[in-house]
Amino acid sequence: MLWRKMLRDILGNKGSYLACLVLVLIGLVVFTAFSILSDNLRLSKEEFYTGQNFADGFVELTTMPQRHVETLSRIDGISHLSGRLVREVRLYAPQRQESVYLRLVSLDLTDPGRVNDALLLSGAELTGGALNAWIDNKFFEANGLELGQSLQVIAGGRLHELTLTGVGMSPEFTYPLRDLKEFYPNPEQFGIAFVPLEDMSTLFPDTRDRVNDLVFTLEAGADFDRVKELLEPELEQYGLRAIYPREDQLSHVMLTEEINGINSMSKALPLLFLFIAGIILYIMLKRLVEQQRGQIGLLKAFGYTNREVVVHYLSYALVVGSIGGLIGGSLGILLATPMTNLLFVFFNVPPVYTGFSLYYLVTGLLLSVSIFLFAGYHGCKDALKLKPAEAMRPPAPPFSGKSLLERVGFFWGMLTIQGMMAVRNLSRNLGRSVFLFLGIMISCAVVAMTWSFNDMVDKLVFYQFEEVETYDAKLILNLPAERKAVARELEKLPEVMRAEPMLEVPVALSHKWLEEDVLLLGITADSTFYNILDKRSNRIVPEKDGLILSERLAQKLDVQKGDSLDFGSPLFRLAKDQQVKVVEIIPQYLGMNAYMELSAVEGMLRQGKLATSFLLSVRGDTDETVGHNISTLRDRYRESDFVAGVDGREERFRQTRELMETFGSVIYLYVFIGVITGFSIIYSSSFIILSERSRELASMMVLGMTPREVFSVITFEQWFISFFAILAGIPLAQMMQWGFAMEMSTDMYTIPGELTLQSLFVAPLITGLSIWLAQRFVLSKIEKLSLIDVLKTRE
Amino acid sequence: MTNPLIVAKNVEKSYQMGEVIVYALRGVDFTLYEKELVVVLGPSGSGKSTLLNIIGGMDTASAGELFYGELALHEAGSKELTFYRRNEVGFIFQFYNLMPNLTAYENINLSVQIAKNPLQIDELLTQVGLSDRRDHFPAQLSGGEQQRVAIARGLAKNPSMLLCDEPTGSLDLASGIQVLKLLRSFCQNYHKTVVIITHNTSIRHMADRVVYLKDGRVDKVEKNENPISAEKVTW
Repeated sequence: MLWRKMLRDILGNKGSYLACLVLVLIGLVVFTAFSILSDNLRLSKEEFYTGQNFADGFVELTTMPQRHVETLSRIDGISHLSGRLVREVRLYAPQRQESVYLRLVSLDLTDPGRVNDALLLSGAELTGGALNAWIDNKFFEANGLELGQSLQVIAGGRLHELTLTGVGMSPEFTYPLRDLKEFYPNPEQFGIAFVPLEDMSTLFPDTRDRVNDLVFTLEAGADFDRVKELLEPELEQYGLRAIYPREDQLSHVMLTEEINGINSMSKALPLLFLFIAGIILYIMLKRLVEQQRGQIGLLKAFGYTNREVVVHYLSYALVVGSIGGLIGGSLGILLATPMTNLLFVFFNVPPVYTGFSLYYLVTGLLLSVSIFLFAGYHGCKDALKLKPAEAMRPPAPPFSGKSLLERVGFFWGMLTIQGMMAVRNLSRNLGRSVFLFLGIMISCAVVAMTWSFNDMVDKLVFYQFEEVETYDAKLILNLPAERKAVARELEKLPEVMRAEPMLEVPVALSHKWLEEDVLLLGITADSTFYNILDKRSNRIVPEKDGLILSERLAQKLDVQKGDSLDFGSPLFRLAKDQQVKVVEIIPQYLGMNAYMELSAVEGMLRQGKLATSFLLSVRGDTDETVGHNISTLRDRYRESDFVAGVDGREERFRQTRELMETFGSVIYLYVFIGVITGFSIIYSSSFIILSERSRELASMMVLGMTPREVFSVITFEQWFISFFAILAGIPLAQMMQWGFAMEMSTDMYTIPGELTLQSLFVAPLITGLSIWLAQRFVLSKIEKLSLIDVLKTRE
Repeated sequence: MTNPLIVAKNVEKSYQMGEVIVYALRGVDFTLYEKELVVVLGPSGSGKSTLLNIIGGMDTASAGELFYGELALHEAGSKELTFYRRNEVGFIFQFYNLMPNLTAYENINLSVQIAKNPLQIDELLTQVGLSDRRDHFPAQLSGGEQQRVAIARGLAKNPSMLLCDEPTGSLDLASGIQVLKLLRSFCQNYHKTVVIITHNTSIRHMADRVVYLKDGRVDKVEKNENPISAEKVTW
């Protein structure tokens, strides 16, 4: 019978229980879906890594005889070592305006235990000497290719035809980015081709029997740093550029961070939702026990034990928790697969689906039920204290007297009577007011932070492509070249107005025990195409005897302006390691670089006046004519082995924007979550206020107040708290943003820790809108309030 | 006889309770005049409170006609009824229904701020004998004092009539007499119509007229030629 009573009570107040249920549902959907998603991604990654023998260490070299690979593989701690040739080529596609690049990665067909082996998804095995290749599946799909088709590539100064025999993928390129300035993979313009090692020497005759890249696995228990120490002296003579562990490999970093991010989200978000839902339930049950005081007395008078009475009230929590847990968990399981598919658009891993997960369904159910039972018990434990006779008497009227705010004379004088009631109610129900405050604060902070994040990503791309990089096109050379001669050559072209040289050199910077491998950008002191900007966007002139570091790099090396650090590069002739002073630390959102004046970098290289790329201003009055001239420039060098490619800045800006817009939809999910939280809190708290104060509200209506005037008492109270909660939400959002920026920033991009101005307008607006929306439901309830029923009964 | 204030013609009120129709009023014909004090008597379920609610604009009749002057209350919408309650009616309940978190003064002010032509709050507080309790909250007042605040609040809007539903029902004799004295004095001094609904037959002696309700109909109406003063009422 008590179950029936409980069900009817719930149905009688279904709005509030539904708000509570929605929060549990969201929490459990996120919990199961994200947990399964994280498992799917982790399992896919692990299987892929194991199956394809993913490397523990990576080495980049200028060039090395292939025969030396065998010697190196005998180094203590190395389990297996593969030597490869990795080269980037341009696709010969005259019909396409933009440059399309392929990274050719050799596969030694004679090596059965190849490290970083490619997985063949469809097609046939590779044959040495047949100029055939496996192409990565994303590039294959994005460009609408077919097996058997030939791709024309410019390699070694000549046009070659590569026949596609298969479609494959590699654990090394689960998130393939052409360079660190790109946010997202762009499979239309950049792909990976796996080519037999012997075919590479056909494509690049100068590389016969040579490799420029090593990948190795470690023996069980071997230490990477120890192996690195042993490898370095062996490789120095071959122009060692970098040795780094798997933990620093770009795709691995991105994939692992994604899995970690999803994993922490699968715990933090559900707990937040369940916590809010638990508090709502706690308040609702506390109110219910106060309301049903007489009924509790009656039950006890009949002979029901305390335990039975408490179990009865706990059954409310059990029902909501179980329904929410079951539906939310099941929905989460259903959503996990489409969400996994969405993620596999970005990460190129052979998907492994765990599918239905009883474990997460049960864990989710137990989680929601236990949080609800805990909240429920604390909400209804007052029923234990009541003696039957006492319970059947009305409670002593609450008296809280004057509130603190009444002492603020000018404020109190401004209030209407409804305002006074509202303010006193805040102190009368302090616990609930605090909950309302916290809920709205969190809701506003979530919206502000996510909105700000969206703005920031937009801003940092804009900053990079509009303020820092102001050239029209960047011409990248395959090898460093004498800069004056090339510049002269380029400036003679009808498409080019001016060419500025740039020298990009891989360097190792170390300070104390910290070391970072980065790209040093040598820029001319009077550069107008690449602006090094300080925090206030003032241009900084690169110095000859000092380094400018990006904030993240300085942070990672623990250096301040004025500190000295050790500075070395395999490309520096004579002095390998030298000391250099940090003269400035600047914000940099895309990438992580060090900067120096061009001639100073040349001085260290001691190989003459060199450049690795040229920043160009291209003739043209409109974007179209500039774009057209960039295409002409590309055509000019389409078959050149000297030029690696011509990048249009506007084009990259647009592509990055477009890619981010597809990803940006996730942001709106968080905004939605913020709105739902705000809505549920206001909705449920309004209904608790309604049930608790219906008598007061009805009395006001009997006095002749309109439903809207009565409604204003509740809304004044809510807006009053919400105003301060929204204000408090901004510093909370700032703290969350700092934490988020710290957590999310990588060497590829730095998320600024500041909130944007726009988010400070939008978040209060959206939070306010969700509050306003929830209040509309309350107004309709007030309009339907039965004055007679409410006023007839004794409180 | 003064001018009629409320005219009820064959007023019916029924409620659908599941499949059963329950009749609370089965055709009430009744006129309420200006400046009179009327006591409505009747056993439980006779329709006293229903009649009061309909007269007060808190409920509407299912059938029949009810006029307040020219205003047809039986046809009025909720907005019109709200403004009718705001401007013309003061209510007094058995359980006071004061706002617990407003002081005595503020409770009265709540009513004053929506009225067109309100009375002075301090003057009302003096008249109900609570000027020294103006800043007390309901929880700091006795039942009799709370009811006096409720009367002051009902009157503060300066309504045409004061409708009282068992105003002494929760009070001891002394407090009840005090409340009745106030109601009578307001009827005389402010020239307001006062309707008191009660079980307590002793109160009928102070009324100008007594309306007896039985089974949802007016059983009889008695005119009291010599109403006694409130002090003399006893129970």
